[in-house]
Amino acid sequence: MIEVTKDLPRSRDGLPMDWIEVPFGPFFPGLPGGLKLKLTLDGDGVARGTAESLVGIFKPPRDVRADGFVEMLSNRMVLAPASYRLLACRALEQATGTAPDETEADARLGALERERIASHLNWLAQLAQQIGFAWLRRRAAFLQLWVQKSGHQQLMVLRSELQALTRRLRQTPLLESRLANIGRTAMTADLRGPVARAAGCGEDARAAEDAYRRLGFEPVVRNGGDAWNRLDVRLAEIEQSLQIIDAAGALGDAALLSVGDASGEGNAVVETPRGRVALRLTLEHGRVSDAQLDTACTGHIGLVPELVLDRELGDALVAVGSLDLSPWEVVQ
Amino acid sequence: MTALIVLLVLACGAWLLAALEGSLASGRLRLMAPLYAALALLGRESIVPRTPDRLLFETAPVLLLVAAVLGAAVLPLAPDLVITNLATGALFVNAALAYVLVALIMAGWGPNGAYAMIGGWRFLGQLIAYAMLIVMPITAVAMRAESLLTTDIVASQATLWNVVYQPLGFVLFVAAALALAFLPPFDLPIAPGVLAGGIDAEYTGVRRAVLRLGRLVLVITLAAATTAFYLGGWHGPLLPPWAWSVVKIVAVASGMLAAGHYLPRIREADLLGWCWKLGIPLALANIFIVGVLILVIP
Repeated sequence: MIEVTKDLPRSRDGLPMDWIEVPFGPFFPGLPGGLKLKLTLDGDGVARGTAESLVGIFKPPRDVRADGFVEMLSNRMVLAPASYRLLACRALEQATGTAPDETEADARLGALERERIASHLNWLAQLAQQIGFAWLRRRAAFLQLWVQKSGHQQLMVLRSELQALTRRLRQTPLLESRLANIGRTAMTADLRGPVARAAGCGEDARAAEDAYRRLGFEPVVRNGGDAWNRLDVRLAEIEQSLQIIDAAGALGDAALLSVGDASGEGNAVVETPRGRVALRLTLEHGRVSDAQLDTACTGHIGLVPELVLDRELGDALVAVGSLDLSPWEVVQ
Repeated sequence: MTALIVLLVLACGAWLLAALEGSLASGRLRLMAPLYAALALLGRESIVPRTPDRLLFETAPVLLLVAAVLGAAVLPLAPDLVITNLATGALFVNAALAYVLVALIMAGWGPNGAYAMIGGWRFLGQLIAYAMLIVMPITAVAMRAESLLTTDIVASQATLWNVVYQPLGFVLFVAAALALAFLPPFDLPIAPGVLAGGIDAEYTGVRRAVLRLGRLVLVITLAAATTAFYLGGWHGPLLPPWAWSVVKIVAVASGMLAAGHYLPRIREADLLGWCWKLGIPLALANIFIVGVLILVIP
């Protein structure tokens, strides 16, 4: 017996066990496509873990026409195209010194919030897949498809359905106990978006925007920083986004104003469904010659090794899932 | 002849359950879908993973099916419609279903894959949680019938079903049956979002078809046990006895499938905690209450 176990690694409880390295992804039912976890399992506990994106952005498109830049960036970010379209438009508008009128700004804001609702519903469907909640998976996926293709009027019709969903989830037996104390993070500078707001930080790029301030926007903040708080923040943000869309009165994806042969430097910030992203670009004679992107997921993916350490496998995957990582938004 | 009828009921029940399972996933009830799914599985290549433990890998699906059928062999559909009316029938159900654990450990270890292996070991942990909650409610049921014959147990409910006489035992038994059949919210050994199918993950083709059939028959067997032990078995007005049994079995099996649809999967640690800290004391209380009732109300 001693010979069999003498060189095996020791668990925290002192038991010698065979550790096995198991890949999860890039195509795994409970994780977003393109995300690859490599977990070293000690029984069904996680002794080590790493995460990498196989579809991350190496560098934003450069030396392309301004309108092409907008399309390329938004097409690249498949889980938040409207947010990145808005980001690129804002940066280019700053570089050229133009700005949309108030109606256009409100419509852009409506489209951004619609994407936030759809993104949170998509995350809910993925969470449901992880925790085996079949009804939620079907319902959230169904509503996400509807929200994605809905205009202002249809969204207002869907409002009661979405509110019923959020209400029901807060009352679902076993859900809170399933998610509480999993993936708990202390507030650090790397955290952004719902992950940061669930950990008690009021950081939200929307709070600094005039259009949002006009509508009386205040960030949703929870304390606790675990998977349950992240769920609660996202549910509250779905309700808040519906109110914002109602007040904005219209929806419309950002369209690039004329750039011509302008040159200049532009900075823009957008609060995407996963957190604040910033873009800095240089425009030379109507072409983007340089661009630097700073995304929330780039920081969040670095949290994975700490979150999965010494967790039971199911809890570790829920912890990773609760970050809502978009592999496409990881800048490598 | 009796054996054929029971096997026919099991097969039809499995068919109906497969259709219901499909309807819960897709939102549409299609009665022919199980046939197409079975044909697709039978026509598909049955891949063998690299360096499996061939004996365990091949035996596990068959053993699961055999264990489920053996469990059903002592459960009566009508007073004279039971394959074998063993004197220790109620215990035999438990003994036969103990092989579900063996089958799942074999299905986990046999393919030599990480997801399957974790699924198999998870079920071992699950057994430690649910095992006592199968046996202890059966004890209380046998106390009232003063017999382990399953036909006597059904006969003892002629005036009052056990679901009314000992509701606590009913709730505990059904919850434990869900865990034994690894149905949601106790589907830890397969957990699609965590283990990509777990013990199912490495099975394809005809082997997967047998594994699925075994699980469906297991659900039917447990529904039949619930019917015999708590829902008065064949007792009921108007319809012939076997029809009442079939109606109740289908209703219980459907309820078992649907229950997990609206709940998240329970964590293994929580399952163990609840079963040992709450379930077993409640099961003991149930035995005590039934004992007192038997003494007070002859």
